[in-house]
Amino acid sequence: MKRSEPLSESYYYILLCLAKGATHGYGIMQMTQKLSDGDVTIGSGTMYGATSNMMKKGWIREILSDEPGQERRRLYQLTDAGREALRAEITRLRRMLANAEEV
Amino acid sequence: MAKNTKTIWKMYSAWNYEKEIEDLNKLSEQGWQLVKGGLLHSKFKKESGVRFCYQLEYRDVEDMGRYIETFREQGWEYVNSTFNHWHYFRKAWDPALPEEAYEIFTDRESLREMSKGWIRVALIAIVLLAGFAVSRGIRMIDKPQLPTLVQLLALLLEIGLLLRGVLIMRNPDASRNRRHDSAVLTAILVVALFGAVAALPLTLLRPSFSTEQRASAVDEPIVDNRWVDFTVKYPDNYYLDLEMQAEKPMTFIIYNEAGETVYTRTESSFREEDIKLKLPVGTYSFSMSCETGFEIRCNLN
Repeated sequence: MKRSEPLSESYYYILLCLAKGATHGYGIMQMTQKLSDGDVTIGSGTMYGATSNMMKKGWIREILSDEPGQERRRLYQLTDAGREALRAEITRLRRMLANAEEV
Repeated sequence: MAKNTKTIWKMYSAWNYEKEIEDLNKLSEQGWQLVKGGLLHSKFKKESGVRFCYQLEYRDVEDMGRYIETFREQGWEYVNSTFNHWHYFRKAWDPALPEEAYEIFTDRESLREMSKGWIRVALIAIVLLAGFAVSRGIRMIDKPQLPTLVQLLALLLEIGLLLRGVLIMRNPDASRNRRHDSAVLTAILVVALFGAVAALPLTLLRPSFSTEQRASAVDEPIVDNRWVDFTVKYPDNYYLDLEMQAEKPMTFIIYNEAGETVYTRTESSFREEDIKLKLPVGTYSFSMSCETGFEIRCNLN
């Protein structure tokens, strides 16, 4: 199996936030800040670039919200390929952490 | 009433875009708010009591709607985009907000991606310009003329500046520190940008025409008939195409204003293209002499 490249921090957090359910860019940004205790922020330029690239890779897709009052708002949704990429990254991170504990 | 709009003509190189952001922020603080940003000039409106922080990024956006929405979600108001894919955004300045709130690239990867996008376009431009420069170079060897030389030099300057830009943009950290290109470089950049058309005024100043005369028979010999005058406004190589047909040899002469012969040819049948004439500034005239029926055609450029 081809070894996948480590994800950047922004990619990782975007996938992680979407694993909990579809949300919009702002939701991803807020959740990322909360999860990382304000350490990681995802600026608009980074967000647009990352979501564009991940849509090209087929990791996420764009859907329109059907919540009342939020109609037609763009949401991002994780695909099976995206879930797989996230799982691979988590496995990689776990191993790295385990390796650190061995030393 | 004081003018409440103004246009500032100023050009920033791609690797200097943070300087442009700095300048926009400073102007905003002074009450001049950006209305429309551009490559060569930007428009501002006087609006005091508000202050914005600006951001600028290079991107070949595929989905403008999603792009603007992604920025709006974080409080960025879209201002405009230039034809060469630079996008301007602003956000009201709030001293309570942390500095990160005004960053749009929050990791090195995305900043590097922006540079890569610019470099890709710059490399395509370099290839196209190099192709054009080669064609001008070949023409210079074949038919050296001033407008061609000016075009060639401007193209080489453009290629050099773009290569320099590519080298700077390849290292995003360096571009962040290299904030001030000198005014001289900016001036060169502007000249080079218009390099391809810099030769236009020179081309317009050239004498460039075609003329012809003919007669099936003449009653009496034509002697030194000056039929066309033209002015050379700058010294250069000019090229003459000459075609003569007559029963008996006829003479074609180009005189300068002192009445000296610059070029002459006596033939009964003659045809040659691109006869090189090195002409100083001055007024010249075409003249012909002939005893019989004739036909003469000349082009000068």
